[in-house]
Amino acid sequence: MNNTIDISHYAAIADSIRAEAARILEQGVVTAVVAYTTGRRAGSVQPVIITAAAEAERLTFTAASVNNLAVYLTKAKKDIPRSGRIGIVVKGCDLKALVGLMGESQLQRDQLYLIGIPCAGVLASTVRPAEALIAATLAPKCRECDAHLPEGCDYVPAVSLPSAPTLEPSYAAEIARLEALTPAERWAYWKEQFAKCIKCYACRQVCPFCFCEQCLCDRNKPQMVDTTPRPAGNTAWHIVRAMHLAGRCAGCAECERVCPMDIPLNLLNRKMAKELKELFDYEAGFAVHEKGPLNSFMEKDDQSFIK
Amino acid sequence: MQTYISHHNFHTLLDTLITGGIRVVAPRLTAGTLLYAPLGESGDMVLDQLPRRSAKEAFFPVCEDILSYEKGGQQVRLTDVEPATFPVTVLVGVRPCDAAAIPVLDAVFSWDYKDEFFLERRRKTTVIGIACTTADDACFCTAVGLSPAETKGSDLFLTPVADGGYLCDICSEKGEALVADGSSLFTELGNVTPLPFASPAVPAFDLKKVKGWLDGHFEDPLWDGTALRCVGCGACAFVCPACHCFDIVDEGTEKSGKRRKSWDACGFWKFTHHASGHNPRDKQPKRYRNRIMHKFKYYDDKFGQTLCTGCGRCVRICPVGIDIAAIVAEIDGMAVE
Repeated sequence: MNNTIDISHYAAIADSIRAEAARILEQGVVTAVVAYTTGRRAGSVQPVIITAAAEAERLTFTAASVNNLAVYLTKAKKDIPRSGRIGIVVKGCDLKALVGLMGESQLQRDQLYLIGIPCAGVLASTVRPAEALIAATLAPKCRECDAHLPEGCDYVPAVSLPSAPTLEPSYAAEIARLEALTPAERWAYWKEQFAKCIKCYACRQVCPFCFCEQCLCDRNKPQMVDTTPRPAGNTAWHIVRAMHLAGRCAGCAECERVCPMDIPLNLLNRKMAKELKELFDYEAGFAVHEKGPLNSFMEKDDQSFIK
Repeated sequence: MQTYISHHNFHTLLDTLITGGIRVVAPRLTAGTLLYAPLGESGDMVLDQLPRRSAKEAFFPVCEDILSYEKGGQQVRLTDVEPATFPVTVLVGVRPCDAAAIPVLDAVFSWDYKDEFFLERRRKTTVIGIACTTADDACFCTAVGLSPAETKGSDLFLTPVADGGYLCDICSEKGEALVADGSSLFTELGNVTPLPFASPAVPAFDLKKVKGWLDGHFEDPLWDGTALRCVGCGACAFVCPACHCFDIVDEGTEKSGKRRKSWDACGFWKFTHHASGHNPRDKQPKRYRNRIMHKFKYYDDKFGQTLCTGCGRCVRICPVGIDIAAIVAEIDGMAVE
């Protein structure tokens, strides 16, 4: 199946981003814009932070604009100089992360200028950034996207979304497959995956919600989690990560995209999201919630675990 | 010296080694990812792609025990891991960029301190390298003075030929011994046509010029410009065939446990974090600067060569698209003779 994803409108989006970024920098609406620019390799795109209108011509948007740029606005990335209002280019999935960060009092809406992208999808991986965007190369998150059109942005390029092929959601199918296994089989699956982990922490470093100034896994007084890339420490790390993101993860799947060992990390996040939906009718979206489902109590919450 | 081995005989050679009790490590799909791993049979070997992690782990594993401790009363019993128990290994399908990194590691691990863990594995391992006939635009071995036909670091070097077999360059005594042991499988070099070597597109760097610039630009706007977006993971260092920093930690309980050595990376905030709380590399661009400085200046200062073999792994996997080839090209462009 070579379903081509129509992204013919991305060129117009890129033009609009350049014009809008130049305008808001020129008029002093923002002090900086976090966006995408092209790299050396054919088709490659990388995050960039510009502070002058003249730099706006470097900006782009393509199928390789995979990064969730929200990560640069968290307190974990405090080397990024910030003052005043910041412009940021967001896809729908990225916006959900920003909304989550606002809910956690990490960001204030009036300090952001959101440039929303009518997004038809991006590549699953940028190992080969020039690859054509087809069903097979599309990021799995995009197959089940409900956020093609970000809401509540300050600016959205005036382009219409081309119609997209209907694709089977892959996470749901894979979760169903794993749920059908016996606990021993499931354990064997994850053991094999976690055995590949080299503790590079790329999953943590790109996650907008991993903004702890010192990660539990980096602490050694006391040493909560073994630091070496061995079964005990790897498993502990991935459980800590999944649990700490439960009810917070907005589904950008950056953890999975950047894992150099191809560990299907977003499966854990999707499974958690599924549980949160079932237990608390909670889903990451475009509306700011002051308290996440695991930070608040409601009488209707399931209490069947109290025996 | 050159000889020839057919595709079939090459597999027979490896299967014979395996059944003879020799550990044969080659690129093999491991839980969906191509990694250097021990083969159960030669058919599991995948030679058409560069493995995700480099061949360094054959000598310098991701994590290894170096001793164990046990406490009983007032006594603490320490038991060393004995490198003599490491298995004899044949490492197969090593690309020139990975093989050329092995001598680079040799220099570090046998410098002032002789790392017996590394050196014993090195002594016991025969490296079968293989020339590259394809390259992508992340490959830049030719830019750092190597090539898809570079035999450095290989004991036996294979060049694929048109009929599916290999032209074999015998590069060392270990390679000679391997060919002698399987002599019936190698035949005289007939009229073979080697497949054309790959030609990576990145123009050659002037490494002396680059180093000259680095000598004088510890402080430079380039570092913020290229590395402010670095998110501070260790992916680049961990997939690198030449990065060799490691951490040593004790894991276990107060009663018993292990002392372990595992890969570390200068991109981590924690890497230079002092017990006092001070961190001399307090910002991410300073950490990324160290990566470039170590590869193209510090290592050269100490050992007279470059600590980068142009495999392009870090270029392909950097979460934020930091491209070391583009950065070094930029430095090369700014530097003056």
